Amino acid sequence: MSRKALLISPELCMGCRGCQTACKVWNDLPGEKTTNRGSSENPPNLSQDVYNKIRYVEVPSESNPMRWLFVSQRCMHCDDAGCMKICPAPGALFKTKEGAVAFDKDKCIGCKLCVAGCPFDVPRYDGKDKISKCDLCAGRIAEGMAPACAKTCPTGAIRFGDRDGLVAEAQKAGYGKLYGETDLGGLGSLYAFRDAPKFYGMDESPVIPESLVFWHKVLKPLAYWGVGASVAASLVHYLVIGPHKEEEEVRKDG
Amino acid sequence: MANMIRKASVFEIANHWTMALSCLVLAITGYGFLFHLEGLNSVFGSYAQMKVIHNYAGIVFSVNIFFTLFLYLPDALSWGSDDITWLLKGGGYLSKGHVNVPPQGKINSGQKLFYLAFLVAGLAISISGFVIWLMPGVKNYILLSHLAHNIAFDFIVFAIPAHGYLGSLANPGTLQIMISGMVPVEWARKRHGKWVREMGY
Repeated sequence: MSRKALLISPELCMGCRGCQTACKVWNDLPGEKTTNRGSSENPPNLSQDVYNKIRYVEVPSESNPMRWLFVSQRCMHCDDAGCMKICPAPGALFKTKEGAVAFDKDKCIGCKLCVAGCPFDVPRYDGKDKISKCDLCAGRIAEGMAPACAKTCPTGAIRFGDRDGLVAEAQKAGYGKLYGETDLGGLGSLYAFRDAPKFYGMDESPVIPESLVFWHKVLKPLAYWGVGASVAASLVHYLVIGPHKEEEEVRKDG
Repeated sequence: MANMIRKASVFEIANHWTMALSCLVLAITGYGFLFHLEGLNSVFGSYAQMKVIHNYAGIVFSVNIFFTLFLYLPDALSWGSDDITWLLKGGGYLSKGHVNVPPQGKINSGQKLFYLAFLVAGLAISISGFVIWLMPGVKNYILLSHLAHNIAFDFIVFAIPAHGYLGSLANPGTLQIMISGMVPVEWARKRHGKWVREMGY
């Protein structure tokens, strides 16, 4: 099974938010009561009931005072996923064979460490303290269907397909390196940006927190080898040097 | 029966055992989280249950650590030239033959060093544990606590087997301190000469 991905082209997006609605319908998520914040962007952020949304970014310049970017946001489905790395509960977060980072609420223990492990501020928790996020419509793509957001997108701003194929097509269409093409082992949500990522509200080079990498590469093996070394050293000491013997403890100044 | 002296109070013994048990439960569940040891489900039921047990064992451990402040900290902070000499000689543990080491107080220089290091690690792992438990989702705090929790964990799982060995097999008779709290005066004189003198024997 080749890895699947979404290719998101903000310049093709017209901000209709059909993807947000389709996501709610397929995943059976309730609407959220929001307030007028003086922006057309709504709801304001991802939440337990908002797996994807359009970020509205105004980038006025002299040549184009009305430039308005619509950026579809969701789980990035990292190949090297920080959330999966830090998660202490086996099976709570897992990779599907299509490369989606999916979750199993029954196995989630509600520790919320994944929130700290994610470079994109994606994981949210529901009322029962269980992980809640985009899973790339794991059930749909396993049956060969496109995720609800891509299926419903009328302009092709969100496209779903084989990851390699999408990258090749974007290159043919004149995009240089895609956002997420190589970051974090390659993202499952690819972005075809015309400008620097910061204009679209994205980190230039997203990485897993350094402390997490250090923990994974050094502290984890050390916990394994350290306890063994300590037991082994004690055993060797017992066999080679042996215990303190009473008769040897002859001292006058005691 | 030999003349006996009380080395540890009943409270101290109870505190030490509770800490040892909570530490064991915390370490086992901790390894379960660290390496996804799903076999532990047959002991703890589920990972969710294991988290609850880990958290509450953490409270017990933290309380025990707090009590040790009154039990060992004053002794552990009093250092003299004898302590340096003792440490330089490795406490006499590094050779088969007899090594003359300076007389020791109620706890020896190695024990002082161990206690201070364990106190730092114990406080770090307790405080960071409570942050991870009670402040979920606050990214910077969680990452820092996760790091501190794991560094302290590495130190503790390295130090504890050696501590257990030194308190049992390596020093026959020492384990009695954790059981009855009483040791023969002559035994104590050889290991904690200064303290025995202070006690008036």
